[in-house]
Amino acid sequence: MFAKKTVALFIALVMILSLVLSACGGGAKAQPVTLRIGWAGSPDTLNPGTAVLAEAWTIFELVYDSMYDLQLDGSYTLDLAESVKTSEDGLVWTYKIHDGIKFSDGQPLTADDVAFSYNFYAANTDFPYMNPYTAYFDKVEATSNNEVVITLTEAIPNIDYQLVFLYVLPKHIWEGVNPIEFENVEMIGSGPFKMVEYKQNEFVHLAANKDYFRIPPIIDEVIFQTFENQDALVQAIKTGQVDLITEMPNTAVATLRNEPNIAVVTGAPFAPEVTDIIFNQCTPGNCPLDAGGVCSGHPALQDRNVRLALAHATDKQKIIDLVLLGLGTPGLTLIPDGLGMWYNSSLKDYEFNIPLANQILDEVGYKDANGDGIRDMPDGSHPLTFRLNWPSDSINAPRTAELLSETWGQIGVSLQMQAVDPDALTAQCCPAFDFDIMIWGWGSDPDPNLLLGVMTTDQIPTGSSETGYSNPAYDTLYNQQATELDKDQRIAIVWQMQQIVHDDVVYIIPFYPQATQAYRTDRFTGWITDKPKVALEDVTSLVVVKPVK
Amino acid sequence: MAVQTTELKPSVPSSPLLDFWRVFSRNRMALVGLVMLVAIFVGAVFASQLAPYDVTTSENITINDIYNPPSSTHWLGTDDAGKDVLSNFFFGARVSLIVGFFAAFISVVIGGVLGIVAGFYGGRVENLLMRFTDIMLVIPDLPLMVVIVALTKPSLLNIIFVIGLLGWTTTSRIVRSQTLAVKSRKFVLRARAIGAGNSHIIRHHILPLVMPLLVVNAILVISLAILDESTLSFLGLGDPTALSWGQMLNFAFGRGAMSAGAWWALVVPGFGIVWVVLSLTLLGHGLEQVLNPRLETHHLTPGRPVIRSEIPWRQETKKGEAPILLDVRDLSINYITEGKPPARAVEKVSFQLHEGELMGLVGESGCGKTTLMLALLRLLPAAGQIVGGGAYFTDKELTAMSEAEIADVRWKGISIIFQGAMNALNPVRTVSDQIAEAIIKHSPPIPRSQLDARVVELLDLVGIAAQHKDHYPHQYSGGMRQRAMIAMALACNPQVVIADEPTTALDVMIQAQILELLDNLRRKLGLSIIFVTHDLGVVAEMCDSVLVMYGGVTAEYGDVDTIYNAACHPYTQELLKAFPDLSNPEKRLASIPGYPPRLEALPAGCRFAPRCPAAFARCASEQPALHSLGEDHFASCHLVEASP
Amino acid sequence: MKRQKYLLNKVAWSFFTILFVLVLNFLLFRVLPGDPARAGVRDPRMKQEAIEAIRIRFGLDKQVINCFESLNPIKVGSCTVNPFDTQFFIYVRNLLQGDMGISFHSNRPVAEILVERLGNTVLLIGAGQILAIMLGVAFGIIAAWKARTAIDYAALLSSLLAWSLPTFWLGIILLFWGSGHGLPIGGKATPGTSSLPFLQQWGDIARHMLLPTITYTIVYMGEYMLIMRSSLLDVLAEDYILTAKAKGLSTFQILKDHALKNAMLPLVTVIAINLGFTVAGALQIEAVFSWPGLGGAIYEAVVRRDFPVLQGAFLLIAVSVIIANLIADLTYSYLDPRVQSE
Repeated sequence: MFAKKTVALFIALVMILSLVLSACGGGAKAQPVTLRIGWAGSPDTLNPGTAVLAEAWTIFELVYDSMYDLQLDGSYTLDLAESVKTSEDGLVWTYKIHDGIKFSDGQPLTADDVAFSYNFYAANTDFPYMNPYTAYFDKVEATSNNEVVITLTEAIPNIDYQLVFLYVLPKHIWEGVNPIEFENVEMIGSGPFKMVEYKQNEFVHLAANKDYFRIPPIIDEVIFQTFENQDALVQAIKTGQVDLITEMPNTAVATLRNEPNIAVVTGAPFAPEVTDIIFNQCTPGNCPLDAGGVCSGHPALQDRNVRLALAHATDKQKIIDLVLLGLGTPGLTLIPDGLGMWYNSSLKDYEFNIPLANQILDEVGYKDANGDGIRDMPDGSHPLTFRLNWPSDSINAPRTAELLSETWGQIGVSLQMQAVDPDALTAQCCPAFDFDIMIWGWGSDPDPNLLLGVMTTDQIPTGSSETGYSNPAYDTLYNQQATELDKDQRIAIVWQMQQIVHDDVVYIIPFYPQATQAYRTDRFTGWITDKPKVALEDVTSLVVVKPVK
Repeated sequence: MAVQTTELKPSVPSSPLLDFWRVFSRNRMALVGLVMLVAIFVGAVFASQLAPYDVTTSENITINDIYNPPSSTHWLGTDDAGKDVLSNFFFGARVSLIVGFFAAFISVVIGGVLGIVAGFYGGRVENLLMRFTDIMLVIPDLPLMVVIVALTKPSLLNIIFVIGLLGWTTTSRIVRSQTLAVKSRKFVLRARAIGAGNSHIIRHHILPLVMPLLVVNAILVISLAILDESTLSFLGLGDPTALSWGQMLNFAFGRGAMSAGAWWALVVPGFGIVWVVLSLTLLGHGLEQVLNPRLETHHLTPGRPVIRSEIPWRQETKKGEAPILLDVRDLSINYITEGKPPARAVEKVSFQLHEGELMGLVGESGCGKTTLMLALLRLLPAAGQIVGGGAYFTDKELTAMSEAEIADVRWKGISIIFQGAMNALNPVRTVSDQIAEAIIKHSPPIPRSQLDARVVELLDLVGIAAQHKDHYPHQYSGGMRQRAMIAMALACNPQVVIADEPTTALDVMIQAQILELLDNLRRKLGLSIIFVTHDLGVVAEMCDSVLVMYGGVTAEYGDVDTIYNAACHPYTQELLKAFPDLSNPEKRLASIPGYPPRLEALPAGCRFAPRCPAAFARCASEQPALHSLGEDHFASCHLVEASP
Repeated sequence: MKRQKYLLNKVAWSFFTILFVLVLNFLLFRVLPGDPARAGVRDPRMKQEAIEAIRIRFGLDKQVINCFESLNPIKVGSCTVNPFDTQFFIYVRNLLQGDMGISFHSNRPVAEILVERLGNTVLLIGAGQILAIMLGVAFGIIAAWKARTAIDYAALLSSLLAWSLPTFWLGIILLFWGSGHGLPIGGKATPGTSSLPFLQQWGDIARHMLLPTITYTIVYMGEYMLIMRSSLLDVLAEDYILTAKAKGLSTFQILKDHALKNAMLPLVTVIAINLGFTVAGALQIEAVFSWPGLGGAIYEAVVRRDFPVLQGAFLLIAVSVIIANLIADLTYSYLDPRVQSE
């Protein structure tokens, strides 16, 4: 699970092959053309092996290359490789690297560097995020100057996804360094931008790599400036201190839209997000006692009818309106709509219908036994009073909780609300299962595999499963899609899985938050805003924007 | 003859609470603070009635209700959840006040207990507790609070405990010092002596006296607790389910109020905090003033203008007499206090000081001696005012001078030796510095070496060795200090020296030394001295003339022999009777019954009448004038008038 | 001799207090709920081995201290384990070597991060305090001198008002106002200015410092003014002031040569005691204005659950305050000749 501020990483290298814009206004300029971007975070480190923050990955995307690029519509294109061949059994992948690629220190990028990088990531098991991408690697070798051969342990449908974040590092720099402690301040990479200066929590100063093997950026420099909070970002763009801001408080959208010279763009975030309401439905039989399971969940939540009633008592649109100021889409399952083809758009959601919810609970026998306004279990043992927790660093969750408390109160459910330190919440959640209901969230990978895995039985003792949901049919489908090589088939399986968990009301997904960004129309133009995802700080836009005349 | 005593009848019945209230209400600061506090309390208690909207439901709220500016439907606008700010303000008051008060309660109880235990039991216990308090005082509060709350649950109860458990340090210190002070007071010792137990003493003697200070401190602690809670909530460590003002600010700041231009969401909760804290601060400040009234006037407060009467005629020097240095004629001085009638501290006092004369100024404490002397140099406190008569120093009219002019006369013409020299010398400056200062002020510039030499010379004059010159007053003994004061008083070679009870605080042997010193100096340097004292024995030995004052007026004035052998005023006579006579050791010691008159409520007639053994009817109704009894002998008594 | 004993006593006591804070610091973070190794890394991709590796890297696999395996929950452990191999001893030993651990968040040595930021906080606090002291003393003198006049009441009321303002709120209001008038919205410097010539660079920093310093000054000026006023009122009512007046000195001379030095002494003590508060103020101001200082480090560390940084920052702040207190004590003892022994 990723809270918005900490984890999340998905970035993608997107190189647009066909977009070549004439560089008007080029020529020797006295002042370098500098694009200033404001954001509220900062990379935690420049070491791709150990980085965990989204901002670090944004920079990696700009400074490094990898085998594939992730496009804004979710598809993959080849980047470093000019061609790829697969063996019959799908186990051996041969990539041919472009010629003439240079690192920013002048050294050439060869297959050696690629092989070194992949083996480097695979070897270091304490790289939190990189290491898992090499899970299927059996062997990686550079068979010639520009040919890399990857041998897998099994055939997987998404090698592009596995490789897209494995940035190619210069072997001559990284060989022999301490992989965890190396700070990589100079960031020698082959990407469209190169590192000029980096001050953590202050700024990242990049310069265009005019020798980039594809089309180099038009602008000369990019500076990412860190502001402590989103209000500062809004002010910064209003006063012109920055040319683009990558986030803002939703309340600022209306204000900024009224500003001349500022355009606001909203859409799916590049790293699609999910906010979820988690029901602890771990049965005693599945309780992972060896892993420290406490399994103190309210018994009523194991009853699908209760969860269904709660779903009918959730006014998602109102939550979106009041909590997100309308900047969100109603949720269905853990797979967000930003994942495009993977998202099962055919599912019909449970409508907000209080009488229906009440009816469901009445019919199944959850009556108010003692007249205190709160329903009780059919056997009268427990009242339907649930603990509702959320991480204390979320500013939106309390507002969501308030709204839930109101509508759920109308069906005779009461909540004990408590914000909890994220650490403590993790300890409570999984695999301890020491809670009733939680509000939390995920940031999604471009591939649905990980999020789908969260709901499998295998993940109950590992701490990835938050609900303790266990459905053998679902588990089977999960294993199937992990190895289904036919894309359409795989999509069908993933859709079916979503149907199952939606039917079982494993979660209630109130919304998928949208991203909002703003740029100054009087400074730079050419921003890529017509894709389903909005990420103006991504390489896609940064290599094509040019100053307004 | 029946003695009629005039007693002051209280005009209103008094009880301690009523008295307290009367003083309290006169303190405007405390009153304003109290009113402000009551107002916000009412707002909090009656929140449900006062709040125009129900903030527990979002039923009628839509996306258009978010961050609406103040309007007729929402007087203070709406917040990030579309709810009415004014309503949240009232309910928020509840949370903020509750947290503040409960947290402060915990702090005050802990601090109070620790302070009393430490102060009362002393020894190791006190040492340990105070050391612990010192450590906790030094550790910065807010970061520690932030860390603890961050590591534990963000619930209201938790916050109350954390703030409470860290806020007791100032209380314990204050309570301890107060307990120490009270512990050694006589009534506590007496209680112990009759066998009262510790808990009884603590409960009945210590606690009541510690209470007032504790209350003032508690008010401060409450305001700090409220500030702490709002800070913690603002930093995101508060309980989001309990909307305190700080939490309102956290939501506003964190959910884009600034970008939305929603200043009302930021100003209103902050205003609430400021209101409460300011009210508590004013209340506490005011209470402190009530409990520890400080005059708030000081020696640099500009004095009151002299009310000049007709210019009194100067007395001419009689042939053969030494020239008159000081001529005081009918000098009257009042003390003005707001809301009370003026205290007539000195009324129509006259005397003349000749060159080389040593005049003794005698009277009980509070009879106006010091006031009279201060008035000569225009050193009266801010409440004092010369309201009649005049004083001349040689040919200069002291009572008509400006501040600049009198500054010239001070020390150079007339200098004063104050009583209680411990405080009369500045403790953080060396003695020689302070002496040199006077010299520098009143002479043309002289080189440092000469200055030092002069200081040494002066100190030598009074018998202080040169090695002590660069010491500080606290390094001198009591007698040495007084001698240093004398040396300082002589630094500018004044013509007149006023010695205001110079030996009162000293033991008998030292007294004798000082007196002898003064006498010698007088002879050696040709000084004229006014010796203010209540010790008749000294007067008899040294003085040439005596002025006896009672209740602010001249009782009797004349040369020393006359006074001692032919005193006419009953007061003088009683004084002399009260004085033990070594030559007649078996004589019974007499004392004068009764108390000196209260200067704001003086009797209509003779001021001494209530205590006078010879008083008769006229004395109670008519004040006697100053009658001349012959050569330079005056007394103010009706009996005198009768005799030739 | 006596003074030396006094000083030695003070130094020893400060040292002891620092030790206390060290232990407190250690305990605080071992009593926390939750598993620091998983701090902020709740991600299915993270394998058990990776989590274990983090745990070992931060030394969290060792016993906390002899007899206790962990403090939350309290689990009794071996009393005979090598004490040098316990978390506590390692913590102390590392501290003595200047090693405050590695930040969870940025993988840099905590000491390095904090030292960078300490300078910024000192800059901000320094400027603010100096201004606050100057203005506070000046107004306090005027108020005391003109006690009970309209000037005094105005000064008194405004000081009480300033003291009642929550620091962070004043900061927000000023930020709101200032941001609409062209002042920077936060941070210490505009990026890219580190390559500019010295004057320009510091001009930019000064612009960024303007609002936070003003906030700081307003809050503390009020308190210093109150202290100075009350202290001076006490002093001016002392007998030696009357003596000075009787000596014919002018008001100005009396204030300068007699009153000020005496009245400043309590102020020195208050400034020292206040250091805890000034740090608290720094925390709030740095949070609101995004000033990259020590207080901001604490705030960010709290938000990110970066425990090594939080632990280190708290320790550094506490130790700074203790040392500053010591310096103030020593200064006081030099200023006041009456101080000879405890």
